[in-house]
Amino acid sequence: MTPTHRARVLFRSIAIFLATGGFLAAAGAAQAPTPAVLVAMKDELDRSMAAMSKGDPSAYFISSTVADRQYSEVSGSNGALLTSTETRARWLEVQTRVGTYQLDDTHKLADRQPSWTSPGTSVVVDDNIPVLRREIWLETNRQYRAATEALIKVRTSQQVQVQTAEGNAPDFSREKPHVSIGPRVEIKVDRKPWEEKVRAYTAAFSKSPEVLNSIATFTALGMNQYQANTEGTQLAFGQVHYRLELYVQSKAPDGMDINRYANFDWLNPKDAPDDKTVFARIQIMIAETEALDKAPLVDPYAGPAMLTGRAAAVFFHEVFGHRAEGFRQKDINEGQTFTSKIGEQILPDFISIKDDPTEAALDKQMLLGNYAFDDEGVPAEKVQLVDHGVLKTFLMSRSPLVNIPQSNGHGRRQLGFVPVARQGNLIVSSSKAVTNDQLRQQLIDLVKAQGKPFGLLIDDIAGGFTFTGRQQPQAFQVLPLVVYKVYADGRPDQLVRGVDIVGTPLVSLTKIVATGDTPDIFNGYCGAESGSVPVAAVAPAILISEMEVQKKETSTDKPPILPPPGHDPENKGQRQ
Amino acid sequence: MRKISVIALLAALAFPVVALAARDKNTAAAHDKDAGLAAKPIMVQAPVPEAESDQTLRAMHDEMERSRTRLQLPGVDKPFYIEYRLLDIDVRSVTSSFGALIATNDTRNRFMSIDVRVGDYHLDSSNFVSEDGFQGFLGTTGEVGIDRDYNSLRQDLWLSTDQAYKQAVTQMSLKQSFLRSLTKPPEIDDFSQTTPIVKIDPRTEPDWTARNWEEESRQASAALLKFPQLNATRVNYYLVYFTYYLMNTEGTTIRTSRHLAAIEAALDTTAGDGMPLHNFYAVYVAKPGDLPDPAAVGQSLAQAGTQLMTLRQSPIVSDFTGPVLFQGAASGALLAQALAPSLSGARPPLSTMPAFDEMMQRMGGRSEWSGRVSSRVLPATMSLIDDPTLKEFNGVPLLGNYEIDDEGVKAQRVQVVENGTLKNLLMSRRPGPEFQTSNGHARSALLSDTRPLSSNLFLQASGGLNAADLKKKFLDACHDDGHEWCLEIKTMDNPALSSIRQEDFSEFIGAVAGGVASGERIPLVMYRVYVADGREEMVRGGHIEGLQLRSLRNIPAYGDDETVFPYMQNPSGGFAGTALGAFGSAQGGIPSTIIAPSLLLDEVEVRGFHGEPRRLPLVDAPPLTQ
Repeated sequence: MTPTHRARVLFRSIAIFLATGGFLAAAGAAQAPTPAVLVAMKDELDRSMAAMSKGDPSAYFISSTVADRQYSEVSGSNGALLTSTETRARWLEVQTRVGTYQLDDTHKLADRQPSWTSPGTSVVVDDNIPVLRREIWLETNRQYRAATEALIKVRTSQQVQVQTAEGNAPDFSREKPHVSIGPRVEIKVDRKPWEEKVRAYTAAFSKSPEVLNSIATFTALGMNQYQANTEGTQLAFGQVHYRLELYVQSKAPDGMDINRYANFDWLNPKDAPDDKTVFARIQIMIAETEALDKAPLVDPYAGPAMLTGRAAAVFFHEVFGHRAEGFRQKDINEGQTFTSKIGEQILPDFISIKDDPTEAALDKQMLLGNYAFDDEGVPAEKVQLVDHGVLKTFLMSRSPLVNIPQSNGHGRRQLGFVPVARQGNLIVSSSKAVTNDQLRQQLIDLVKAQGKPFGLLIDDIAGGFTFTGRQQPQAFQVLPLVVYKVYADGRPDQLVRGVDIVGTPLVSLTKIVATGDTPDIFNGYCGAESGSVPVAAVAPAILISEMEVQKKETSTDKPPILPPPGHDPENKGQRQ
Repeated sequence: MRKISVIALLAALAFPVVALAARDKNTAAAHDKDAGLAAKPIMVQAPVPEAESDQTLRAMHDEMERSRTRLQLPGVDKPFYIEYRLLDIDVRSVTSSFGALIATNDTRNRFMSIDVRVGDYHLDSSNFVSEDGFQGFLGTTGEVGIDRDYNSLRQDLWLSTDQAYKQAVTQMSLKQSFLRSLTKPPEIDDFSQTTPIVKIDPRTEPDWTARNWEEESRQASAALLKFPQLNATRVNYYLVYFTYYLMNTEGTTIRTSRHLAAIEAALDTTAGDGMPLHNFYAVYVAKPGDLPDPAAVGQSLAQAGTQLMTLRQSPIVSDFTGPVLFQGAASGALLAQALAPSLSGARPPLSTMPAFDEMMQRMGGRSEWSGRVSSRVLPATMSLIDDPTLKEFNGVPLLGNYEIDDEGVKAQRVQVVENGTLKNLLMSRRPGPEFQTSNGHARSALLSDTRPLSSNLFLQASGGLNAADLKKKFLDACHDDGHEWCLEIKTMDNPALSSIRQEDFSEFIGAVAGGVASGERIPLVMYRVYVADGREEMVRGGHIEGLQLRSLRNIPAYGDDETVFPYMQNPSGGFAGTALGAFGSAQGGIPSTIIAPSLLLDEVEVRGFHGEPRRLPLVDAPPLTQ
């Protein structure tokens, strides 16, 4: 992923988590002084609400958010520095809802695509209250005007259009106010060493003639968020996040694009990966790239498949997690796979799934989807989505469903987008676990039982989850990247390429027959309607009794005609 | 390398997407292969750069040589022309509002753009727009390493040259099949020949001087705290140093360093009746150290603020048709909009898409002067000259000065109009129906496609009147036309500078884009001047309609003044012929000037404000100071 200036990372240092956690436990304890931004917000909220609640149409809810973003990026490519920058900016968003909780200006009109982006403006980074108030005042007026215009359209369409059952759900949920003023976070980054590192990392990739292009990007983000609304919520909290990403591009002889990607995430500068770890990962990525370049294309196949933990985690995120997002149940344009399935068995009874943004780490490994409050000011909640195969509920923002009137703290978005229900830390557990070795043996047993020559071992999957900023794949596209044939006769595993899963991936989930016993974590950024948000997915390896795959189409853009300049036999000595 | 994202480009240029959609294809004319004398391609060995120590030039040279001699798909032509452009850019930008800092950014980037052509000068793979085409995995442009090292640049050039060649081969085949479908293919060459130039200037390292730009921008913008009726303000300091590299297989090698510093400010307010109003301030100088100090900037901003406050209180102009006087810089701004699309002698590209032709038409991409060489286009007392070679005029530095254009052609003075008659047009290496060779006017910003654009454009006139006589003439004309008052415009609007938010900008697009064909112009500071006593009264809310280039054929009177109007020319040219098409900002615009006298036009149609003013905020503005 390439973080945009609006990219938002929801992330909490453990220290901050404890501080705020302690506060939540002891509500009413002494508070830190109110930050200037919140003072300005509060002043303007009070003034605006006093007038706009008496306006025609009247506002019933106003909220404002300021994201104060401190961001460093150091990026290298093919052995040279690409960029090294540092920015600080504040972004203001104001939401003014007119009408009622039941029917307001945001009501979805059947024939119209909702607007996913949300207006906002950059505001001063100096704590200058009068200037901040001026910007908030302007933005509030602008949003009030837009909301009143939108409500007229909603009311008109109400009179002429048939309402769907889910359309009867209120437009906005009532939530309890929360007040929490946490300490301000700050990042201090010395970019010089990282400039050297990204040069060295990408130079290491260039040693392989198969690597056409490589990019290494270090990012550091210190984000302080301020939220206030007319229900009484007042929040100030900070999060930091450091990340190193590695990305390489190659092309197989038939033109198929080969990409490998890796990321490291940490909260505390001392936990940065050391060079030894990174170079080891680079060697693995080079080896995978070179092997994939030479790997044969897969033949159409239907049979048993095993997904390693990280592949299974992405798989669950894509094919289950997105379908469990509440807002999709409201939209008639959605598949609404699960809309009427609460209380029904949708997965094997040994599988349970929760989404728990309140977890900061699992076995000392950080979880990227951790946050204390969502982007609508609602505290994050642990949500048991599937209990022993039975669907229990959905992930909810403040857009209610008929049977689920409240948010469960999953209203999330990238700055500049409207929050919708999104995943945080999706955690899959199993009561039918065996060791991974045993699982592999079960795969071979299944292959034999079904009379197949081989089964598939899927080790890496690309989704909307792992996009790298170049070309964002469809949110639900599931494309296996690293796939091995596992032979029944004991031959070594064979890497294959160009695998495309056929049919509804969801069906595969019902065919899970067993799982491994070691949960694997995948941290990444998930791109969907409300932009890119940090998430984690955790799952053990899974064994699926039948999965169908076919050959993926390859690109017509063949590998470069000339050899790389640094590996050109006719050009010896040219490399400087 | 990293792909340059469209979003980044858009942000940088702040101009409509349509303009970018035509990128890389915005070139002209084509021809059937066997109809005419195909020029023999010249393929010389590029010289080894003089500046031996410049690894950038070495990498460009070595990779170009390898590509020139060995890049070929089996059974397909080798490239006949390869061009590398590279931009090494250092930017510091600081934005404040009402004395508080909004953002500060220091960025250093390098971008490359590769052009590879197959065919020959007569018929090549360029100047063709098609829906199909080669979809490469990396593209022909990109962000490259900033270390100025050899290895990474060669790697990046290698990949993009490969992509550009494959793209050229695909385009050529699509173009040839399209040409076979035409009854009469165009006969104009695709690419003109020129004398190669080798010119390696010393590289200028950025000098931010010892000034504290954040503090200066805070201080300067604090001057606007005196105006509590302002809604929002933005004062932006933009300082840039860049080095441009150009190399091609004809033997041209250029390395040139340029710099620019700008302060651009926007301020907006709402009139008592709900009409949104704005004003702007801009200053452009060659070097950061030449920028005025914060006290002086504050003073200018306060003037702009005072002017806006007066505008806020002023009456709304009613519909009017009659004499209008464009004073000083307002006439330069008018010419920038009306003249620019007609100065280019290049043809638009051949296209397989009727929609594309329609879009070009709608956006005003057709030159009114094309095909009119030797006919009278201005009053016989007037001449029009574009001269990029001039550094200053009457002691005022000229922003449009350059020695070599962005295609490596020597800058030339071009007499476009002589004594009212059209003599010449501005040319890049893309030939047109009337002129085939370049006269050194190919310009671009941030490696966008080069287009023939003006640099320092002089409207020269003999027999201009002094200010008093011009005003008398104006009032006489007004009286003769039966008016109590006529309109005088002192400043024209510049949407690229005066829009604080994207939303405001979109409103401009809505307001102006529809007026492309109708010659809509937006005055900013306009006065009613009364015939009876010469009294001036500021008015607001008017638009000019129907002011086309042909309106300039007869100009009843003009001043003897020569006001230098510096501005950033919009490189993309979308909505050509409007303020949106003409003006950009320092961030991505092309430094240009227009030098012109005040102009008196008769029969100008001004439409008063006819929209519904928005309702006023329910809540009064909070105090601006504590």
